[in-house]
Amino acid sequence: MRGISILFPLFFPIITSLAFGTIKFKSKRARNIYLTSTIIINFLFVINVSMTNASIDFHLFKVNDFLDIYFKIDKIGILFSLLASCLWIFTTFYSIEYMSHERKEKRFFIFFILTLGITVGIAFSGNLFTLYIFYELLTLATFPLVIHAGSREALESGKKYLVYSFTGATFVLLGMILLFSISNNMTFIEYGVLTDLNSINQNLILVIYMILFLGFGVKAALVPFHSWLPSAMVAPTPVSSLLHAVAVVKSGIFAIIRITYFIFGSDVINKVQGDFYISFLVITTILLGSLLALHQENLKKRLAYSTVSQLGYILLGLVMINDNALTGGLLHLVNHAVIKIILFFCVGAIYFMTGKKTISEIKGIGKQMPITMGCFSIAAISLIGIPPTNGFVSKWYLAIGGLRADRVLFSVILLLSALLTAAYILPIVITAFFQGEKVAKEDHIEPPLRMLIPIILLTGIVIALGLFPNFVLNFIESITDSIV
Amino acid sequence: MIARNFPLLTIMILLICSFIMPIVKEAKTFKKLSIISMGASVVLNISTLIYIKYDGSFFYRVGHWDAPWGIELHIGMIEIIIGILFTLVASLVIWYSFYSVDTEIPKEKIRFYYLLINILIASLLGIVYSNDLFNSFVFIEVSTLASCGIVVIKDKKENIKATLKYLILSILGSGLFLMGIAFIYSITGNLNMTFIHNELAEIYIKYQNTILISLALFTVGLGVKSAMFPLHIWLPDAHSNAPSTSSALLSALVLKAFVFMLIKILLRVFSLEIVIQYRVLDLLLILGSIGMIFGSVLAIMQKNIKRVIAYSSVAQMGYIFYGIGLGNSLGLTISIFHIISHALTKSTLFLAVGSMMEQTGKNLSDLKGIGKEMPVTLGIFTIGAFSMVGIPILPGFISKWYFALATIDASKLIYLGVILLSSLLNAVYYFPIIINGYFGEENLKGKVFMSKNKPVKELLPVLILTVGIILVGIFNKGIINAINKSLI
Amino acid sequence: MMEGILNNYYETGAIILFGVGFVTLLMHNNLIKKIIGMNIMDTAVFLFFISKGYIEDRQAPIVRGVHKGVEGYINPIPTALMLTGIVVAVSMTAFALGLTVKIYEEYGTVDLGQIMKMRGDENDDS
Repeated sequence: MRGISILFPLFFPIITSLAFGTIKFKSKRARNIYLTSTIIINFLFVINVSMTNASIDFHLFKVNDFLDIYFKIDKIGILFSLLASCLWIFTTFYSIEYMSHERKEKRFFIFFILTLGITVGIAFSGNLFTLYIFYELLTLATFPLVIHAGSREALESGKKYLVYSFTGATFVLLGMILLFSISNNMTFIEYGVLTDLNSINQNLILVIYMILFLGFGVKAALVPFHSWLPSAMVAPTPVSSLLHAVAVVKSGIFAIIRITYFIFGSDVINKVQGDFYISFLVITTILLGSLLALHQENLKKRLAYSTVSQLGYILLGLVMINDNALTGGLLHLVNHAVIKIILFFCVGAIYFMTGKKTISEIKGIGKQMPITMGCFSIAAISLIGIPPTNGFVSKWYLAIGGLRADRVLFSVILLLSALLTAAYILPIVITAFFQGEKVAKEDHIEPPLRMLIPIILLTGIVIALGLFPNFVLNFIESITDSIV
Repeated sequence: MIARNFPLLTIMILLICSFIMPIVKEAKTFKKLSIISMGASVVLNISTLIYIKYDGSFFYRVGHWDAPWGIELHIGMIEIIIGILFTLVASLVIWYSFYSVDTEIPKEKIRFYYLLINILIASLLGIVYSNDLFNSFVFIEVSTLASCGIVVIKDKKENIKATLKYLILSILGSGLFLMGIAFIYSITGNLNMTFIHNELAEIYIKYQNTILISLALFTVGLGVKSAMFPLHIWLPDAHSNAPSTSSALLSALVLKAFVFMLIKILLRVFSLEIVIQYRVLDLLLILGSIGMIFGSVLAIMQKNIKRVIAYSSVAQMGYIFYGIGLGNSLGLTISIFHIISHALTKSTLFLAVGSMMEQTGKNLSDLKGIGKEMPVTLGIFTIGAFSMVGIPILPGFISKWYFALATIDASKLIYLGVILLSSLLNAVYYFPIIINGYFGEENLKGKVFMSKNKPVKELLPVLILTVGIILVGIFNKGIINAINKSLI
Repeated sequence: MMEGILNNYYETGAIILFGVGFVTLLMHNNLIKKIIGMNIMDTAVFLFFISKGYIEDRQAPIVRGVHKGVEGYINPIPTALMLTGIVVAVSMTAFALGLTVKIYEEYGTVDLGQIMKMRGDENDDS
């Protein structure tokens, strides 16, 4: 029965969010306490589950071979769930303040908590079918968040988001059906489920891999399926930051890791050369994302395209199929999450305090909000990959991985893209600090503490991970050792 | 032993009660009569199911005449499951109709409405149970008259026109069906399905053309009645103009009985080995695929919500024909499973839409923001729609999944694309209704939470149907195994 | 081929009649003609069926005096079946005619083409 403990972090948020919908809070304070305690308790649940060394698994209900809701905990799931639930805490504090200016807070927080449960569900899924279900649920749960503003533009973006996601899910379903027909097994196992390679048509395997990759690639904003992501920027900032930093895009990446290393296995992918075909798409994603980010006027859109490009890095790390690259990829998955969430929080703080959205409007904002923009600058430096920040560490491993795989081209692209990153992110910093009027100290308009503290703490994490990466690095290396 | 009489008894109870209705004066009494007879049929059918579970399927001689001369009923696992489905859905629809019938049907005709429903369900059960071709034909004709009756009962201009269209095409279909019987009778000299089957096994090589002709006549004849794609033109008019309770019965049950008859003819009369030699299955496969896609495309173009759901029926019938057309036992099993899942889902959808339409209007644009006023009803609609789209665990997903596996089994991989495309198209027309219902901003203003919601008492039958949908999804394995076992 | 058609002239006639009825039912816009077509079609099936039961030089299956054995009589089943068939067809015709009268009251015409046109206008209004 120890397996039950796996269900707590999963269903606790789902239940509390439903309860949140029915409870009428006497005061805002009571509501805030309810929210934060929910998220923090859930974090503790995740830690509790992670601490048990033995592998836990649990069949929630098994109807037949494929219709099997099965949860299993392994290291990579722990990594993802810890990342998600940790960042969720920061976002909760931030959004309690931020959302006080938006309407329909209740609806927002219901789906906000719900999404946490579903994300943890994705992390703990023990087979492809369970992953698929939570993947679909994620779309449905985040949809109301995307269209939160309720404007025509928001509804249009929401529609786009749904169409893209469901097209992706349909690809996944197709891949799943084909996979099931050849393997009869969709459990995630290290080195994959396809043991008897000779009896299976290798082209078919390649086709199935490509279909699944493209299907999950929609959520991972793979070019040419990326355009929902910039459109989804109409959502309130906490949503954008979560969508981008953890919940949605990283779920796509996570699912791709699962199919590459736990369904097919690195050997099979190497053999059918799945990595070769995919890497073209990934390189396009990296370059195109950076190039498109260059001329976005809207701050959030610029960050969105930056996400597209950075996700390309992670995918590149995954498809090179060697342990250094994979370490780099996973490390970047963590680091990018932290970096992006800071960037979005800062942009949100600017909008919250001044209502400014575009680059031309924020001249001299650094002088008004020095702490916020200071954090922004540190995150920007980290995004480019300059030491002593965490972005440097992950890119270092990616580059080494590229060299180890005898693909110098990849390392060159990484450098080129780092340049492009600098070209799109530094202008924001420069405009903010070096243009505009000088401002007296009394006119500083830093955001309220509940917004500022998460930003500062996260920036602290960025630097800490840059100086002492070993803690995370060792954990990730222990993951990669077991699957490559 | 006594359970063997139950299938005939259910048909008789329903018919006799329907004949009593015109002489009853009190409105309350004939409503009670209707629900009690239908409820009794459910109970009888369930006890037959239990009997079959332990003692296996059986043939029942009507009037104790032996097989080739007397009429036989063949009651197996599949028949009884479908029988329970029909009576159960019908009782829930009748229950629901108590609250809505006054608004939709002229007062003096209400008694005839219940009369017709009873006759309709009795004849549908007859079609499902009968092991005799001509007997089935008579039941088919009775059900045609009854189902035309429950469409025209509203007595509006459009209803009469839609009914006439329905009637003419149905007559065409039954004419073809009867001609098919004539051909098969001319070479086998029997009307009993088992006897025809035995006869055909010996002589089919000699009469290839005759068999082809009669196969084609049966397929097209029943295809008209069960809305196979190019022959579906009567369906949207008839189903969208009828009262919502009638639409629920027509879409959920009437179409299914005819398609089940087709399965019986292909399987029990001709047997798969013979059918597979002709191109009839390919025809079914192709028409089914076209129906799956074009039914959805046409549904997307509709403005009237009931027409959307009616066209969706065309698409869903396409799935069933597709499954038959695959020509393997898994495909047939899933077709029958889809009959069950679609019957539950479609009746739920029509009833939910019916209660929404009572409060607003019939166009899609009227339903914006309805989720604020009728959250429970829209919630029920959402579950039904999710099943149609194929969200996991719900039966719609299960059937799609198995249809896909059956396709791979038949090594027709290209058709996988059809299944996926059609489920995407389903999403295209169901999701906007749900999204606009819950989030359609402009209409939300000034609406009060739950203001138009029906009392729980009136929604209970639909809620039970919804629970049924979920249960069928959860217990799919048992149902599919039971169907598969008795298919052979 | 030709010989076969001539020998089975009942069946040939039935099939031709069926075709006539089928085409009348489908092609004519006039509702009354459609119903006539339906009746022709049904009659064709009855003819076909009964001709299947008829065997030359045999009597109607009615025992008068001595029973002549199975060889003496024609097959009675198709005849009996068609009795049911006729009843069904008559009720169908009655129902269809009833609806036609209603249609005429509502629309003032029995031409399906015109009725469909009127309906198009209605749809634009709603």
